[in-house]
Amino acid sequence: MSHPSITDTSGLDLAAIRKQFPILSEKVHDRPLVFLDSAASAQKPDAVINAMVHTMHHQYANIHRGLYWLSERATEAYEAVRDQVAGFLNAPSREEIVFTRNSTEAINLVAYSFGSLLTPGQAVVISEMEHHANLVPWQMLRDRMGIELRIAPITDAGDLDMEAFGQLLSDGKVALVAITHMSNVLGTITPARQIADMAHAAGALVLFDGSQAVVHHRTDVQALGADFYTFTGHKLYGPTGIGVLWARRALLEDMPPFMGGGDMISTVTFEKSTWANVPHKFEAGTPAIVEAIGLGAAIEWVEKFGFDAIAAHEQALTSYALQRLATVPGLNVVGQPKERGGVISFTMADVHPHDIATLLDRNGIAVRAGHHCAEPLMRRLGLTATARASFGIYTLQEEIDVLADTLVRIREFFV
Amino acid sequence: MTQTVPDSDALYDRVIMERARAPQYAGKLEAPSVQGEGKNPMCGDKTRVDIALDATHIQSVRHTTRGCAICAAAADLMAQQVSGLDVAQAVSLSGRFSAMLVGEASPAAPADTSLGPLEVFQPLRSHKARIRCAELPWIALKEALSHADV
Repeated sequence: MSHPSITDTSGLDLAAIRKQFPILSEKVHDRPLVFLDSAASAQKPDAVINAMVHTMHHQYANIHRGLYWLSERATEAYEAVRDQVAGFLNAPSREEIVFTRNSTEAINLVAYSFGSLLTPGQAVVISEMEHHANLVPWQMLRDRMGIELRIAPITDAGDLDMEAFGQLLSDGKVALVAITHMSNVLGTITPARQIADMAHAAGALVLFDGSQAVVHHRTDVQALGADFYTFTGHKLYGPTGIGVLWARRALLEDMPPFMGGGDMISTVTFEKSTWANVPHKFEAGTPAIVEAIGLGAAIEWVEKFGFDAIAAHEQALTSYALQRLATVPGLNVVGQPKERGGVISFTMADVHPHDIATLLDRNGIAVRAGHHCAEPLMRRLGLTATARASFGIYTLQEEIDVLADTLVRIREFFV
Repeated sequence: MTQTVPDSDALYDRVIMERARAPQYAGKLEAPSVQGEGKNPMCGDKTRVDIALDATHIQSVRHTTRGCAICAAAADLMAQQVSGLDVAQAVSLSGRFSAMLVGEASPAAPADTSLGPLEVFQPLRSHKARIRCAELPWIALKEALSHADV
C-alpha cells in the first residue's frame, strides 16, 4: 500500500499540516500509520514539541516563587497561557482560568469544591452519555453529601431527550446540570445554549465537559451561557498533564479550595491559613509548567488555522466516513445524532470490536475499541463495546478509504 | 491499494477462527458440580464455566462466552484440554498456559510441558493488550475449581 495521497477538503493545506506531526510519518507493523484515535488523545505538532523543549532548554525554573531571571521568564510564559486560554474560550477574565491536570481533575474540582456547598435535597443532573469523568465524581459527591443524582435520558438516535431533561429540572431542586458538550462515543454535539437556558430558568447552574468539543469548533463560554467549562490539553494537540477549568469568577470566589499546599495560600500559620485569590486558590503545588506552555503553543497553533476551516474539514471527513462505512457489509454505526463531530462508533456483525481493533492495528490503523469510559451508555445502547474511529485536523479522506477497505477484508476473514 | 491479509502474524490462527465460529464445548451443563465466572471490566467480555466432577477428575466442561474470537476460542480449547484431568492437573495446566503468555521465554522447554493445541495462543505474547482475552476463561475455571471439594 502506498502512503495515502493528500486531498484538501476545506482550504487547509493538509500536506503541510501533516509534515508538522513527526509521528504521522512513522510506520506501524510496516504500514503507514493511519491514526484514527484522536478523540482519545491527539498527536502533537512540532510547534508544541518545540515549545516544550525550548522551555526546558532555555527558560525553565519554578514559577511564582523565584526572584531570579529564569523564574521570572518561566512565570511570564506560564501566566501568558492563562491569557491565551481566556481568549480561546472567550472568558471575561484571565482570573477565571484554573489550570488542572486534565478535564477529569477539573470536574473533580467542581464536584468537590462547589459540591461541598450543596445540601441534601438538592440534585445534580448528568446525562446517559457521559464519560466516566463526568459521572463518577458526581456519584462520589452524592454519596458524600447526600444529594440526588439525576440521569437525563438520551433518544435512540443519541441526542439528549430535551423533554425528559426539562422534566428533571421541573421541581426546582437541581443545583447543577453537568453535561458533555460533545459525546466521546456518539459524536453528539449537545445543544449547549438551550441546555444552559433551561437550567438557568430552573435555578440551576450548568457545567459543560468540553474535552471533545473544544477541538472541533470555536468555544465561547459566554455565548453558551455556561457557568463552568472544562477541557483537556492532550486532545487539542497539546501535551498530557494539563487541563483547564473555566468558571465564573463569583463562583470561584465562593468555592473553597480543592487541594491545599504551596502557591494556593495567602498566609499560613500553624493555627490557620488564608487563601490566595482566584485562580491561584485552586492551583496548589508546583503546576505542570512545561505542559501549560505546551498547551499555549497548541492553542496558538490551532488558532492559526481557525475553527471555520477545522470544522469544515472535520465535517466533510465525518460525512464522507459515514457514507463509506455504510458500504461495509455488516457494519452498524452507533447513533445518528442531529449534530455530530468527528467521532464515529460502530459495531460489525460477527466480529468483536477488540478483534476489529487488533486486525486494523496489524494494518497500521489505530482505532479505539471497548466501552470508551462510558459503561452506562453502552448498557443503554444494549452493547458491551464498540470500535471507534475519530478524526483530527490531520486526518485524510484517503485514510477513511483505507479504514473502510480494511474493514471489508476483516469481515470477509471472519464470516 | 494492494489486497493484504488482515492478520500478518497469524494471531488469528485457523484453529482459533474455527473454534470461535463453531465452538464444540459451548453451552451449560444440566447439573454442574461447580461453576465459575470471569469478567473483563475493560471490554465487558464474560465467560461462565460449568464443570462436572467425579471423585477426583473433571468429567466434562461447558462454557458460555460473550467475547472476542480469542476469548471464545480460548474457552473452547480450555474446555477440551481440561476434560479428563484431575483438579491439580487442571490448575497446573492453567499455570503453564499463563506462563506461555506472560512468563520468561524458555528456549528449551521440556517435552512434558507441551501445551498441545493451546500453543496456538503463543503469538499473543506480542499482543499484551489481548492476553487477558485468552486468560479470561481460565480465570473462570480457577474460580470454579476453587469450589471443588476434592
